Amino acid sequence: MTAWQCVAHVVADPPATDWRDALARRLGERPRRIGLWAELAIHGARACLDAAGEEVLPADARLRVAGFSGAMSATRAATQQGARGLLPMPFGFMQSQPSQMLAAVGASLGWCGDASFMLGRDAPALVRLAQLGAASGGVLFGRVEEMEEEGAVRLRTEWWRFVPVPPRGSRSPG
Amino acid sequence: MRPVFIAGTGLACALGGDLPDCIAALLRGGVPLVAVTAAEGFDWPVFQLPRGDGDWATQARAHVRRVAAECGALATSRTAPLFVASSSLDIGEREQDASFPVDLQDFADVVAGWIDWRGPVYTVSTACTSSVNAMLAASDLIRHGEAANALVLGIELPNRYTLAGFGAMQLLSPDAARPFGAARNGLVLGEAVAASWLTSEAARWRVRGGANVVDGRNPAGTEAGAVDAMCSQALSQAGLAPSDVDLVKPQAAGSVTNDAIELDALRTVFGNALPPMVSFKAQIGHTLGAAGVAEIALLARCIEARAWPALGYALDPACEVALNQGAPARLRYILFNTIGFGGGHTALVLEDCSR
Repeated sequence: MTAWQCVAHVVADPPATDWRDALARRLGERPRRIGLWAELAIHGARACLDAAGEEVLPADARLRVAGFSGAMSATRAATQQGARGLLPMPFGFMQSQPSQMLAAVGASLGWCGDASFMLGRDAPALVRLAQLGAASGGVLFGRVEEMEEEGAVRLRTEWWRFVPVPPRGSRSPG
Repeated sequence: MRPVFIAGTGLACALGGDLPDCIAALLRGGVPLVAVTAAEGFDWPVFQLPRGDGDWATQARAHVRRVAAECGALATSRTAPLFVASSSLDIGEREQDASFPVDLQDFADVVAGWIDWRGPVYTVSTACTSSVNAMLAASDLIRHGEAANALVLGIELPNRYTLAGFGAMQLLSPDAARPFGAARNGLVLGEAVAASWLTSEAARWRVRGGANVVDGRNPAGTEAGAVDAMCSQALSQAGLAPSDVDLVKPQAAGSVTNDAIELDALRTVFGNALPPMVSFKAQIGHTLGAAGVAEIALLARCIEARAWPALGYALDPACEVALNQGAPARLRYILFNTIGFGGGHTALVLEDCSR
């Protein structure tokens, strides 16, 4: 059975007030055509990889994202358009889908691979599920929330980078 | 690692409320589409679930209970992991009372309550690849001995939101789904509730391997490189070569562009010796997050019952594909592909262990 170690853990609860500008500086451009929730996910994922000292996520790594809120503001906007008898704006509808967040995170990291959005009430079980069967590239796991509290939007992004513990007796390269 | 088998399946879709009804309707030539209004002045055809008595939740509960029973899961202790895979969750119910989803796990918890499920409950929502990703996660639990069984439910229930969203993106056909068809002009959405009861104990259908590749470069379409990668990774995990594959169930929802990209990519995998293919989207529509388990259930039952979907439209000669021409004489290994919104590309390799 694979043993795992957490090599980086970042949490922004809430993110700094200038987090979107900081992300744009880090990426070299402002993310386009994505919603707030996806942008928040990118912010956390990029920060976690930076904390782990990794510029890129290995191709055989897993990306797993949870978040009970989903893309709250995009979903609300699109459903309100529907309630008024209108079709949603295409990008608004896309931004309400968790799969679009996965695409945005992958694209921002220049990475293609096994990415999924999964939820469960037992957070440790969800992490363990993400690790089961993961390859040597490990797991980048995030929880991203865009919650509405007392009329205001509360943002939270928390990420972990897990890698397998090398088998005892194995040598590190170099 | 333990092998993973499919011990039972269940399906409710436009064809019928259970698998025998679905096969009977398939053999009769299918069921008619229903025009649904997504927004003022915008109607599109949909393959609807059979309507019963009661409100949205009452009918949803009835479908879930029936397919969960059909796959055999309700005859157990109901303590295995449960995966609820869906892209629309309960948004159809919320449209009734104009409420707003505040916790995306709520629906899976409600579904678990409908079937008195006592095991851990997960939600998987990756658009059209949801239920295959749920099967991959459930398979991880079984392969590594963390669970002996797992129940995967793929659920796409009536709602206007999804139809309006796909309509707004101009992805929908105004008349019919024609995968690889000469006159294909978009996809047709379908409602479905489907179940797959997975086990480590030997059964006729085995999940030999699978892969999930998200390529975010094209968040609304098919990427050839990702199709190649998902097929190659799934076959590698299954310990098979492309030449071992006897049948392909492609994504092919009827999109002019995406069908062609997928086919070109499959030719990269298989060369010009493309295996025969089968598709059900002309009969049940694209059932989005439920599509994986729904089409597995229908395909397995078709093979078991020696039934096969008719084509019913002219294929695009440029595609040069053998689609729905009858079950191949040798049929042991099936490559089962689903591709979705958000650059999701998933493949499963299924084995008919009776062959």
